[in-house]
Amino acid sequence: MLDVYLAQQIVNGLSIGLVYALMAIGFTLIFGVLNVVNFAHGEVYMIGAFAGLMLITAAAPPLLAVVVIVLTVGAATGVGLERLAFKPFRRFRDEASLRSRAMREATLLSSLAVSIVTREAMRQIFGSSMQTIPQGYLLQHPIRIGVLSITDGDLIIFASSVVMLVALQFLLFRTRTGLSIRAVANSPLGAQFVGIDTDRAIMATFAIGSMLGATAGILVGLYTGTITPQMGFAPGIKAFVAMVMGGLSSIPGAVICALFLGVAESITTEFLASGWQDLVAYAFLIATLVFFPQGLFGVGRERA
Amino acid sequence: MRISLLGALMGAAMAWAGSAAAQTGTIVIGYELPLSGDSSHYGEVFRNAADIKLQEFKDAGGMPGANIVLRYEDSKNDPKEARNIAQLFVDDKSIVGVLGDFSSTASMAAAEIYAKAGMPQLSQTASHPDFVKISKWQFRNITTQSYEGPFNAGWMHEMGVSKAAVVAIQNDWGLSCASNFADAFKAKGGTVTSIEYFNPGTRDFRSILTKIARAAPQAMYLCMFYEEGASFLQQRQELGVAAQVYGASSLFEDQLIKLAGPAANGLFLSSNFMPANPDPNVQKFVGEYKAKYGVVPNQFAAQAYDAMGIMLVALQKAGPKVTRDSLRDALAQTKDYPGVTGATTFDPVTREPQKSVVRMTISNGEYMVTQ
Repeated sequence: MLDVYLAQQIVNGLSIGLVYALMAIGFTLIFGVLNVVNFAHGEVYMIGAFAGLMLITAAAPPLLAVVVIVLTVGAATGVGLERLAFKPFRRFRDEASLRSRAMREATLLSSLAVSIVTREAMRQIFGSSMQTIPQGYLLQHPIRIGVLSITDGDLIIFASSVVMLVALQFLLFRTRTGLSIRAVANSPLGAQFVGIDTDRAIMATFAIGSMLGATAGILVGLYTGTITPQMGFAPGIKAFVAMVMGGLSSIPGAVICALFLGVAESITTEFLASGWQDLVAYAFLIATLVFFPQGLFGVGRERA
Repeated sequence: MRISLLGALMGAAMAWAGSAAAQTGTIVIGYELPLSGDSSHYGEVFRNAADIKLQEFKDAGGMPGANIVLRYEDSKNDPKEARNIAQLFVDDKSIVGVLGDFSSTASMAAAEIYAKAGMPQLSQTASHPDFVKISKWQFRNITTQSYEGPFNAGWMHEMGVSKAAVVAIQNDWGLSCASNFADAFKAKGGTVTSIEYFNPGTRDFRSILTKIARAAPQAMYLCMFYEEGASFLQQRQELGVAAQVYGASSLFEDQLIKLAGPAANGLFLSSNFMPANPDPNVQKFVGEYKAKYGVVPNQFAAQAYDAMGIMLVALQKAGPKVTRDSLRDALAQTKDYPGVTGATTFDPVTREPQKSVVRMTISNGEYMVTQ
């Protein structure tokens, strides 16, 4: 049964999954701290791609320089997003407001609003069609490994995911900023009581999460050749599904589930049809929620 | 909610203004098209082209005794919106005819309302076979898949292709594109290895390509638009799938070559419109469009330009006291309209347009006419 075509399908699936994983990392980080979904993460990803593309068209720098600048743009976007959509809902410092689900979940809608406004504004400016990317920057050069075919983009995206995961673990567990982020994630109120500047920690989380998101955007944009204002939407949903399946706040869990989703999609195409991909992906989500309500890698955290 | 209420109020105000103006000889043509959302770049092209045609018509003297006005409404290519707009247009007594919508799905959703109310509707792009069968009020300025599919199947047969796979977008248009081609190809004795449908918005075709490679067809037939086409062609090159690629005319777009780069070379497709055509009508249109919008018009622009032209000729025929009925009858008599998408005649019985088609291929990053 396992022939070359099926093996190629698994490779295809892993590379789709890596795209979701790259996005899920930043997404899950922000969720882990704030306990709320940042619907604008897909737009951060899109802005990263556009910023990178504008830089490429204007100055044609080497890819590494593009990534460094996109990281900066991502951090700025994240901080701006936090100020715009999240901070206003934390202006009451009393315990009732801090514990209020409504206050927290209102940011679900405010981030959704920012996401829609950003996407439509970008459509007005750039149009909704695919942007032309200089051919030399596309990460689509085929690399043959025996009979299997991958691209340089697959390798770069794989390497980026690994670097991001390792860097994130280092940051979270080896630095003071990471310590304060973990403290806020554990208990925002408790963190405040022991004198941690929670606003700062949250801002840092957004900056880091959005740096990862924006970098994912430009890399995936160059890899798929698709840079459009709506590019963040579909992978955003898949990253969300991966995060939920992975147990909401487990970053490695989200990555594993993202890879699993990608492979599920390509295998579905092989044995059923491409049109069934999403159905199969969401069926796995429902099955996970029914049989593992904490997610596959969840730790069953206490939620206020 | 607020916006739609505001829209309704504005619509009512415009309708009132429209009916007041009707007595002073204003004829309004409604145009429903996507101006926001994922398909907005098609709608913008339609609007650009229709504006040019209307301006040309007015510069050439216009219509004595009447001022023709276009009223655009944004359907987002959404069937629900298309129906709302159809109702709005039908209720506006100053509107005698409608252009649009973009996709077959949206056009057909709106068509049911136009059919019931008796409003002539001319779509520049709805190519689903059932569209004009809805009622005598539906017209289109695009050869349908029941014409294009067999044409391309015959072409592939001539080129010695006997085993082909079909890749099609999962919507009304994609289904009819795939089935018309597949039926004609099988009728010529060819084998269709599989028809692979993908959801709109798909940009990763590697799984489909790998699946097709297993069946090893000589050629693939693509029922999709240029953005998906560009991704498909790039990924075909990445995976090194050897089968030749033929495509529906929907792929014909300069942007396809820009997006796909060298991966686009070798694609075969047919089209009604080619900007390099030396025909003076085509050159006039291409020149004006380029001067005004800075880009060479694509096939979609050409179809909207001709749809507007056909509408204007019919209005002229029906005279300044035009009604929805008289405009429909005038549209039905369209014969040898000298458009940029070939001389167009509406079949008196089926109302299907008849046009001439050219065969093209992409070589060295350019569209070339081929045999």
